[in-house]
Amino acid sequence: MKHATRTLLQCTVHAARSALALAAAAVLAGAPLAAHADPQGLLETVKHHTTLINTVPDNGDQNPYAIFVAPVSSGTVKEGDVLVDNFNNAANLQGTGSTIVDYHPDTKQMTLFASIPRDLKECPGGVGLSTAMTMLKSGWVIVGSTPSNDGTTGTKGAGCLIVLDSNGKIAKTISSPNINDPWGNMAVLDNGDHATLFVSNAGFGVGGADGDPPVFKQATVLRLDLDIPSGQAPAVKSETVVASGFGAQADKGVFLVGPTGLALSADNKLLYVSDAIGNRINVIEDPLTRDTSAGVGRQLTADGLLHRPLAMIATPQGHLLVTNALNGQVVEIDPVAGKQLYARWIDTDKAQTPPGNGDLFGIALTPSGDGFYYVEDDVNTLVLAQ
Amino acid sequence: MELTRSVHVTSLACSRSSARRRPAPRRAPALRAIAALAASATFACGAAHAQSNANPDAAPEAPEADLAIQAQPSNFWTGFWTRQTMLGDMGGLRPWLGKYGVTFQLTETSEYLANLRGGLKTGGAYDGLTTATVQVDTSKALGIPGGLFNVSGLQIHGTNLSTSNLGTLNTASGIEATPTTRLWELWYQQSFLDKRLDVKIGQQSLDQEFITSQYAALFINTMFGWPALPSYDMPSGGPAYPLAGLGVRVRGQITPSLTALAGVFSGDPLGNDPNNLSGTNFNLHNGTLWIGELQYAINQPSEGELVSADNHGLPGTYKIGFWYNNNPFDDQRYDNTGLSLANPASTGIAATHRGNYSVYAVADQMIWRPDPDEARSIGVFARVMGAPGDRNLVSLAANLGIVMKAPFKGRDNDSVGLAASYIKVGNNVHNLDLDQRMFTGGPYGVRTQETVLEATYQYQVTPWWILQADAQYTFNAGAGQNPQDPTAPLRNTFVIGARTTITF
Repeated sequence: MKHATRTLLQCTVHAARSALALAAAAVLAGAPLAAHADPQGLLETVKHHTTLINTVPDNGDQNPYAIFVAPVSSGTVKEGDVLVDNFNNAANLQGTGSTIVDYHPDTKQMTLFASIPRDLKECPGGVGLSTAMTMLKSGWVIVGSTPSNDGTTGTKGAGCLIVLDSNGKIAKTISSPNINDPWGNMAVLDNGDHATLFVSNAGFGVGGADGDPPVFKQATVLRLDLDIPSGQAPAVKSETVVASGFGAQADKGVFLVGPTGLALSADNKLLYVSDAIGNRINVIEDPLTRDTSAGVGRQLTADGLLHRPLAMIATPQGHLLVTNALNGQVVEIDPVAGKQLYARWIDTDKAQTPPGNGDLFGIALTPSGDGFYYVEDDVNTLVLAQ
Repeated sequence: MELTRSVHVTSLACSRSSARRRPAPRRAPALRAIAALAASATFACGAAHAQSNANPDAAPEAPEADLAIQAQPSNFWTGFWTRQTMLGDMGGLRPWLGKYGVTFQLTETSEYLANLRGGLKTGGAYDGLTTATVQVDTSKALGIPGGLFNVSGLQIHGTNLSTSNLGTLNTASGIEATPTTRLWELWYQQSFLDKRLDVKIGQQSLDQEFITSQYAALFINTMFGWPALPSYDMPSGGPAYPLAGLGVRVRGQITPSLTALAGVFSGDPLGNDPNNLSGTNFNLHNGTLWIGELQYAINQPSEGELVSADNHGLPGTYKIGFWYNNNPFDDQRYDNTGLSLANPASTGIAATHRGNYSVYAVADQMIWRPDPDEARSIGVFARVMGAPGDRNLVSLAANLGIVMKAPFKGRDNDSVGLAASYIKVGNNVHNLDLDQRMFTGGPYGVRTQETVLEATYQYQVTPWWILQADAQYTFNAGAGQNPQDPTAPLRNTFVIGARTTITF
């Protein structure tokens, strides 16, 4: 009955929120358009898209997915470096990539940060590095694995989270019944000696992609509260499923379609989830404190410019930037207004229809917040939009 | 020559597939349905609060099975049927080359075409083409951004059905050519101004960039690739498959939707040694070919474009172009004294014209796409070009066709198409035939025009293996003349066949 109570509570919250939003809208409508010339969001301020590097390391791994900008200098990583992981191996099989490269903006060079054994025993199914990757202020890098033995979900394993030190050495792995194919970009609240990670798990129930694979509405968002004692690898203090019931589906072409992007609001009271199957962005309330699942939460915005939303980040202004899977656009959303502002074509490769279809995945804000990094995974490049 | 164009498809990542499937309707067992009904009563705020254990959509068939899956060491066969290339990483060769910015592609196209009626004779023939391409990205290899070096070679094998059995002008296959192993393209391209301008220098095959039609590339008949008019009117067929010519090409993006191409090339790729079958003529002695093309794209995004709503306009590309060749060209009817070449009193030496030229237009337009997020669509193409009728075998050539992509559910990478190719023979050729008939007094085939109708289905077996079934019917074969014996008739031909293309 816990669930019914929660549902009722959420309804009340929604009603109150709707009323507030209406009131806010009324105030805004009456306000003079003083800020007319100011940019509405980040995307319109971007001037150039600069291809920085080819992300293929010496072992030939392909298909760059996750992007994360290092918050600190530690080990072989310098603050501001861009870590990029690869989902495919040299034979271009999905779920088999095992490397993380490090792009150094100062020298414009790339080095190999980590090469993880693909058959890592502690990780169910081995290693295929996904869009779930972060580097903590303590220097630890945590990366998700959504592995496959043959490039299809037919042989996928449940995967794990792998903790690496700042020299790219494996410190430990995290696997649990709550983790099944950590897939999308993580939302992270990092307090140095403790941190909270949010990870989307898109693998529950999903089998092979042959024929017409069903949608399994069992994908979750898992909160991991970590303790990070000085000099020791992060330890999981607690695991809480804060959202569940998102759709996930095996796919011949793109391996897996499921909830992908996670981003926290500036006050950390809301967690935004990009629901690729539902073609929408949902909101989970009180993600840091809730001890039960909010289900799929509340829908913030759907369809419109969204075309299978993937990785998602918050801009300094509090807007959301989310990449589309089905075209080469990134969409900017004002979550307060619940409005899609606009989309920018950041990949127009006409080899695909629509242009850029399937090319985008990870996205990360530049340290100064004036632009973003993204990958064009069809040509294995890291691009800076600034 | 559609096959050879595919050589330049660079992206290989699995994830670029446009594959997308709808969830399967799934019949819930009665008990589950009741449970779902009961559960739905508590969903006061709507379905958005669905919980996994009360979900009527689907349930895992073997829950947690993937927790038990262990990583398997990969071997040659791992992912064989799903990978992009048959040989995968070639035992480590591809990643090793990749370290130096080098990519290697090898494709084999094989086909068996059979003439069921008419033409020179009925019967079938096998022919095939192996294409090897090596490209070097100079930003990785040498630290020079924007540079691309390309070298390709061809191994052409089998029998040319069109010359042995058909006798048609619309030759049946774009890969048919004299069997040989030859160098094809050898060029370096450098881009400038954030890729808005690039220059390509070296031995180039013009069919890769000029007069191309995206939708026409599906078809097997030669004339949907490098068209009939330049094939018959340019010296040696022009610098196009299986040939290439030395030259320089500049391409510039004038506006996001308008692109210009201009090139100057060797006027006759084989002029210095027509017997050279190895592709090493490097001829610069026989005149010059100038070619220019404007390409206008509609409903196609430009990099950095901001959109506030989806543009549901259907994409299309429209091109106009011209070429001029400054070689001397023989008149097709008159000799150097003004007599018909068919006249017994003729000197037998044709009058010459200075230069040759053509204008052309190409249109590719998508006309139907029920869901912009899905692969299914229908596109049409048209291509037309003309050249002077006094010095050319072909004075007008046109293509028209329709292509449907993803014609069946779950077959996103299949295509089906129907197209026609039309060739009109130059006036002086036509009149020469009339002269021949008059002077010889007997039967003589007078060439007018020829049309071929082609229907095809292209089936992707795996990402690296494509099968294509094809049927072609040619009306007024040989444009009305038997090429082996102008006094003999040539019946319409009907060709069926199958092609297989493997990317190693």
